[in-house]
Amino acid sequence: MAKLTTKGTFSKLYSWFPIILLFISVLNEFDFNYLNLDFFSFNFPFILIFFFTLKDFKHFDFFLVFLAGLINDTVVGLPLGISSLSYTLICIATSYFRNITIRPNLIKDWFYFLLVVCLLNSINFTILNLFFSYNLVLMSYLVNTFFTFIFYIIFVYFFKYYLKGAND
Amino acid sequence: MASSRDDFIIAIRSAFLKKSTQQKFSLLTLVFLSIFIIILSSLDLKVIRFLKIGISEVVYRSSFVVSIPENLLKSTVYEISEYSTFFKDYKKTKEELDELKSNSVSSEIIQFENKELKELINDYVSSSNKILAKIIVDHDSPFLKSIIINKGSKDNIKIGTNIYDQAYLVGRVIEVNYKTSRVLLLSDLNSNVPVTIAPQNIQAIITGAGDNFGSIRYIKDSFPENFRDESIAYTSGTGAIFKSGIPIGKIILDDEVTDGKLKVRFYSDFSQLKYVFAEVIVKEEIDSIKKTSNNNENNEIKPIDAKIKILEDELNIFEQTNTKFREENENLKTQINSLNEQISTFEEKITSQKKEINQFDIDKKELKFLRLNLEHGHKCRKSFFNSKGFSVGSKEYKECVLTKGRENG
Repeated sequence: MAKLTTKGTFSKLYSWFPIILLFISVLNEFDFNYLNLDFFSFNFPFILIFFFTLKDFKHFDFFLVFLAGLINDTVVGLPLGISSLSYTLICIATSYFRNITIRPNLIKDWFYFLLVVCLLNSINFTILNLFFSYNLVLMSYLVNTFFTFIFYIIFVYFFKYYLKGAND
Repeated sequence: MASSRDDFIIAIRSAFLKKSTQQKFSLLTLVFLSIFIIILSSLDLKVIRFLKIGISEVVYRSSFVVSIPENLLKSTVYEISEYSTFFKDYKKTKEELDELKSNSVSSEIIQFENKELKELINDYVSSSNKILAKIIVDHDSPFLKSIIINKGSKDNIKIGTNIYDQAYLVGRVIEVNYKTSRVLLLSDLNSNVPVTIAPQNIQAIITGAGDNFGSIRYIKDSFPENFRDESIAYTSGTGAIFKSGIPIGKIILDDEVTDGKLKVRFYSDFSQLKYVFAEVIVKEEIDSIKKTSNNNENNEIKPIDAKIKILEDELNIFEQTNTKFREENENLKTQINSLNEQISTFEEKITSQKKEINQFDIDKKELKFLRLNLEHGHKCRKSFFNSKGFSVGSKEYKECVLTKGRENG
């Protein structure tokens, strides 16, 4: 009986793992910045949210994603709501893409992800620059978009492995 | 055509409005909520401010806990790299310490004079108190350079409070919560610091560039020619945002680093900050200071007595300065003596080496003569068959051998 309970807790934790990872990543800004590589950065939450909402993962609650955005804004020091808007827009983009896709294809997903990230970073840059008068380096945004795009394909491999485990 | 447009609208509508069984909110609601929050956060309402402070308090603490593993990894990477440059840093620090020791003497005098002058000009004295603060969140974001410290309004931190790493300026507070604050680092693009560049005494503004360098702006085009490598930038105090005379960094003129732009290398490495000092300034009315001092002494002190006390203090400082200068003089004398000794040792070495070189030259000539003697000696030696030769050992014989017996042979 005890064994069964442990198994139950573990499977619950396992099924909630993506959302837990999302909260850890926004609280911790999982981006290897301590390596001090010039301009190097990527947006892990974007990858995570895009993949799991595209796959319509049942434990990936939109409201929790929205909350994660608020936390991210607080940690980074951005005006509240910016990241929430970005994360929600990813959810909308994936939802739309899922509706129009009959046969899913990784490469198509990948390039659609690039389009979404470019769009979101542009929106972020515009809002911060025009409405909040933040000085930002455009190059950092471009490099961030590029690395987020590159890293997507790497993380997808791990996420697929995870989904396989979750389905089993 | 019409059907594809319908499909598009259906897909969009479904994406915005349809929520699956697990979702509590539709995405359209969340989008509106986000925009509403963005608008609210741009308005400086008191309720929103308090709410923001509450969220920040919880989130910063949680972020600190969650960041522990990453910080551990970060510190390990840093320690490994630090270990390799340990001795070099130690020597540099020692030199800097000596320099600072001598500087502290003059700064004591200046501080005293400053205080005295302020008392004359104003009706208050601002006494600053530096409190140690721990950095609880430092994510080194590529877009915004800021840190979170564990001191807030509870510890008298205010917006604009200057933050230091040792004696060097690292930034100022831009957001204050009850027990935490956000510090905008000098390296942030939004940071602008009015500075004076010494010794040229040029006024400028240093703007963050996103890394450990700051860009110098708003100076005349002809001024950079006056800059020397290692010119120092310190706060000018213009605009009363930063206190004056706080060192920030050194000017770098290396084109490889600066790409032809004027840049300052900050003294502090912002990625390695763990603890910082927050300067809490308390303004005290001079009358109240005098009253308290009077109460403490329980005596009525006349103005002349106060002046005498100030002069006595000044005298003490001068005496201390003199002692320190004397000590420094003695140190310098010892250094000169040891350097003279070194010079004489080197001179001795040079003389002995010269001798060795001369001996070597002589040996070389002798060797050359012996070699030629073996080859051409028979041509120069006087014998039965060579009546034109010379007797062995004579000067002519030697010359004959050295010219390979050409003249006589």
